[in-house]
Order: sequence, then structure tokens, then C-alpha cells
Amino acid sequence: MKLSDTTRRFLFPSLNRRYLTRLLLVGFSCYLLFSYILIPLRIQGHSMEPTYNDASFAFCLRPQYSFSEIKRFDVVAVRFTGKSVMLLKRVIGLPGETLEFRDGALYINGKLIPEPYVKHKNPWNLPPRSIHPDRVYVVGDNRGTLISHHIFGQVPINRITGGVIP
Amino acid sequence: MNKKVLLALILILTAIVMFLLPNDRKKIFSNLDTLAEYCSSASGETSIGLIKKVAQAGKLCKNPCMIQLKSYDINRALPKKELTDHILMMKRMMPETEFSFHDTTITFPQKKHAVVSTTLRLSGKINSDRFTDAYELSINTEKINGKWLFSSFSIVEFMEQ
Repeated sequence: MKLSDTTRRFLFPSLNRRYLTRLLLVGFSCYLLFSYILIPLRIQGHSMEPTYNDASFAFCLRPQYSFSEIKRFDVVAVRFTGKSVMLLKRVIGLPGETLEFRDGALYINGKLIPEPYVKHKNPWNLPPRSIHPDRVYVVGDNRGTLISHHIFGQVPINRITGGVIP
Repeated sequence: MNKKVLLALILILTAIVMFLLPNDRKKIFSNLDTLAEYCSSASGETSIGLIKKVAQAGKLCKNPCMIQLKSYDINRALPKKELTDHILMMKRMMPETEFSFHDTTITFPQKKHAVVSTTLRLSGKINSDRFTDAYELSINTEKINGKWLFSSFSIVEFMEQ
């Protein structure tokens, strides 16, 4: 089989100055994109099941909240000291709201809020509490565990690194 | 030789020397890596190996060492013996767990005092179930007799139920 000139040039490019410049630009763009804009996430753990399963893959879109407010039910990445290790959680309570769990059901300001994404449920009970003005309340989708075994709570908004896609 | 090439070579050599020279920051990073290695456990670790590792981990800490774990209601200085006993107990409870530190920043408020802010990641198996966990730590280190020793560990609890 004979390769066309275009295919041959694509598969076996000549290492000239132009090609190396292009390679450098592509590498630098990828570095910028995947370090500061779209951070790849390798999910470990079961706290967001069934929405995100253990060993699956997603991206953290950092600029998501630069131009818009955090909305209820957004899945967000919460940072520790940097962006290498982050928690994946769903925002269920917004600043100033009162949140409560009654027999596994979520109540915001005393009103029942349906959570269609929750498939595994345990009868969680958490007395009403107010969310600080500079915080949001986050929790995982997997409520099949005991409440004492689940990491959740209100986190400062500046800890939210970005939204999660897909 | 061209002057420009000579200058570039000198700059590159200086950069390499600067990169390779040990400094306080590198020593603290190295201590953290060593601590992570000693606290990690692998399957099939012998009892003697385990005790040796725990003793080595203890040597990286000041005696006594301050431990602050708010959610466990612990806020006190632990003598070296008690600290190593706790590490030993932790390693026995989590026999296949890897410790690693990420996103570490080190600041020097004083010449012989450094504050480390880092994320501790645990991953391993408990009763054949895989688990991962992470904590934000604030660690104080002090330079004593030329050695950097960890003088306090505290968990930064930014999530409030």
C-alpha cells in the first residue's frame, strides 16, 4: 500500500524548525489547558455513586464559577491545599439557608427538596442548621452509608475549585 | 569560545549547582517523604521491620510532639514513646495503607522554624475493601542541633457539619 504525501507527512514529519515550534506550542497549550482550565480527575472512592463511580474519570472546569454563581445540585471539586487531591461533592445548600435531613430526606428552609440523583439511601437524620453567608453545604450522592461514615458539611466558597464535567 | 556561549554555560552550571545544593526547604520535603514511607504499610511486612520503621518515624519528630485533632478531641503534647505507640497501632489497624503528601507549601516565619501546609492522602485496603481518604495538615517543624524535626501536627478542619 502506498501512502499519500499528506498522510506520509502527517505520520513521518520532518523535524524542521517549524514542526518543533508547533510541537512546543501544542505542548504548552496542553499544559495550560489541563493545569489551569480543565483539570483531569481520577475518581477514587464511592461517595458520589451512582453519579460518579470508583475508578472513573472526569474534569474539573475551573472557570465555571468565575462568571456565574454556584447553584444547588451542582457537582463541584473541593480543594485541600492544592489541586492534586480534591473532594467531589454535590452542593445541596446555599449561603444563608437552613438545612436538615429527616429520615434521609433533604429539607431546605423547612421544605422538602427531592433529590432524584440519590439511589442508595439510609435514614439520615441531621438537626436543622444555618449555612454561613460565605459557605455552601456539600454532600456525596451515595447516602447508602451511615451518616457518621460520610464526609460532608459546609465549606468556604473559596475552597470550591470549579465545577465537574461531564 | 564565544562570550555568549560562555555566559550561558556559566548560568546553566550555576542553576544546576543551585538545584543540587541541599537547603532547608529540601530537607523538610525529604523528611516528609521519609515520614510518609515509614508510616506506610505493605502486606507481608515483618514485625521487626514494622517496629524499625515506627522507631525511624519517631526520630523525625521532636520529643514531645504536639498533636491537635479537633474532631477526636486530642490536643496535647505526646512523648516520643506514646507517639510511636500510636503510629504502631495505626499501622496495625491499616496493614496495607500508603501515606503520601501532596500540594505542600513551606513557609519560614523564623530562621529555625518552618510551617508546612500539606494534604495527606491515605489509600489502601481494610478487610479487602479499598479506601481513600485525605486530610489537610498544618505541621510545624523546628531546627534542633542542625536537624529539622516535626514539632506539631494538626488537622485543618474546613468542613463543618
